[in-house]
Amino acid sequence: MDFYVGTVETNAVSLESVTKTFGSVRAVDDLTLRVPRGQTVALLGPNGAGKSTAIGVLLGLLPPDSGRATVFGLDPERAVRRGRVGAMPQEGGLIPRVTVRELLGFLAGTYPAPLPLDRLLALAQITHLRDRRVDRLSGGQAQRVRYATALAGDPDLLVLDEPTAALDVEARREFWDSMRGLASRGRTILFSTHYLEEADEQADRIIVVDRGRVIADGTSADIKRAVALTTVSVTARGDATWLGALPGVRHLEIHGDRAHLRSGDPDATVMALAEAGAVRDLQVVPANLEDAFVALIRKETV
Amino acid sequence: MAPLTPRPIRLTLGYVALELRRTARDGGYVVFGVATPVVMYLVFTNLGLASGDRRHAAIFTMVSMAAYGALGSAFNNGSGLAEDREAGWLRRLRLTPLAPVQVVTGKVLTGAVVVVPGIVAVLLTGALVNHVTLDAGQWLSIAGLLWAGTVPFSLFGLGNGYRLTGQTSGMANITAMLLLSIVGGLWVPVDGFPAWLRHIAEWTPSNSYASLSWHVAFGQAPGAREVAVLAGWLVLFGVYALYGYRRSGRRA
Repeated sequence: MDFYVGTVETNAVSLESVTKTFGSVRAVDDLTLRVPRGQTVALLGPNGAGKSTAIGVLLGLLPPDSGRATVFGLDPERAVRRGRVGAMPQEGGLIPRVTVRELLGFLAGTYPAPLPLDRLLALAQITHLRDRRVDRLSGGQAQRVRYATALAGDPDLLVLDEPTAALDVEARREFWDSMRGLASRGRTILFSTHYLEEADEQADRIIVVDRGRVIADGTSADIKRAVALTTVSVTARGDATWLGALPGVRHLEIHGDRAHLRSGDPDATVMALAEAGAVRDLQVVPANLEDAFVALIRKETV
Repeated sequence: MAPLTPRPIRLTLGYVALELRRTARDGGYVVFGVATPVVMYLVFTNLGLASGDRRHAAIFTMVSMAAYGALGSAFNNGSGLAEDREAGWLRRLRLTPLAPVQVVTGKVLTGAVVVVPGIVAVLLTGALVNHVTLDAGQWLSIAGLLWAGTVPFSLFGLGNGYRLTGQTSGMANITAMLLLSIVGGLWVPVDGFPAWLRHIAEWTPSNSYASLSWHVAFGQAPGAREVAVLAGWLVLFGVYALYGYRRSGRRA
């Protein structure tokens, strides 16, 4: 007996080998990522890493050159049309000469099962702004209204492109408070950011993107561990496999007479090499992940 | 009762309602689409500027100024579209369940509604202030023709709105509106034009548009030639609007 017409899609978002080129620039380069339902995922990367393009593809705004994007197993445009997706583009999307209530009421009305307006206003903390004209809002207020436009349809998937870019510290904290409330209700949330700290604190999982590719994917702890690995290399003759057992070394690669030790504790590794009399043409190269991401972390930790 | 209305229609009408609210709060629309034509009508007919006898001028200029106001509103609607695109609103709408065709339909319907107040205001001024007396059939025909005839201009304005940036589209639409009003003989009757300009005027959509109603106002049937010229422009501007829409769709 076969009652199922296809499998139950467990991924909220799936990008399979998506490539998108603008002129000579590969904004997204063979990108594959899957977001299971219920996860809160940060798409982390420097400006120009391809985050917005990837989001544009998964929302059906940009057709990929190759590869495939699906949302809840559907073509993105169809998923949007069915009201399963709420999105907040990086900028714009507000129009003059309407009140907050009119704008949100209209947008909510386009969805099959929207949030009641009062709930929506409360959730985005803009109840006091409901009769204000949209063109008379401050930057932070406008951002909250934009956030509310993404929530209006009570979507299963919420996609937010750099949601806090225009917010000050206090507004950013309030924003994430309200966001956590949503995530706890089983919604899938995908947001992009270039703040490592934000990804670290808010996401179950971080996908690091640079030059259009995924360069790291995991919990923030996973990624920090990966980022911290330093490559220590020396010239080693004969059997060099013993180097793999030195303190701090996680991984050993031998190319000809060069041994590359990937270490979580380069000081200890170098010390041990010295004690063993194995320091020949020593080279220490920090952080193996893409330079951009390293630079990003430095910028965040300074 | 909302549930009785098919969902696509309800969504489109919801969009029209939002757009109408926005238009009503647009100072430029109220001034140029409604107030200016009324004021110009009163000035032209009461300060001795109009040619011919007073009754003739009151009727003739009533149609001219109603047409002029309708043109202003129709083009203004197109400029609004360019501003919406620049504000990211059209992209925002693509992220809602609203289909692109519903957005376009909504915008065209909005164009058909926003021309009404200008037309009605000038016709009312004609009846109440300038004591224009026509029979009921004439009033209805004039109002109907002035209303339906705005479609080509509305499409031209929307084509500009889709194709050009906010500011450029505003300039293009105001220029088109003024040129069409002047050359079409809405401000000064074409009888006063030099012959070469009069020949041009007879081929403009604006002159054909107003001529339909001038004929009716003076008890004649609308001419087949004007209908044909206006229909030609309708096709041309329709193709232009479609081209603009397709092009802007590709740029997302």
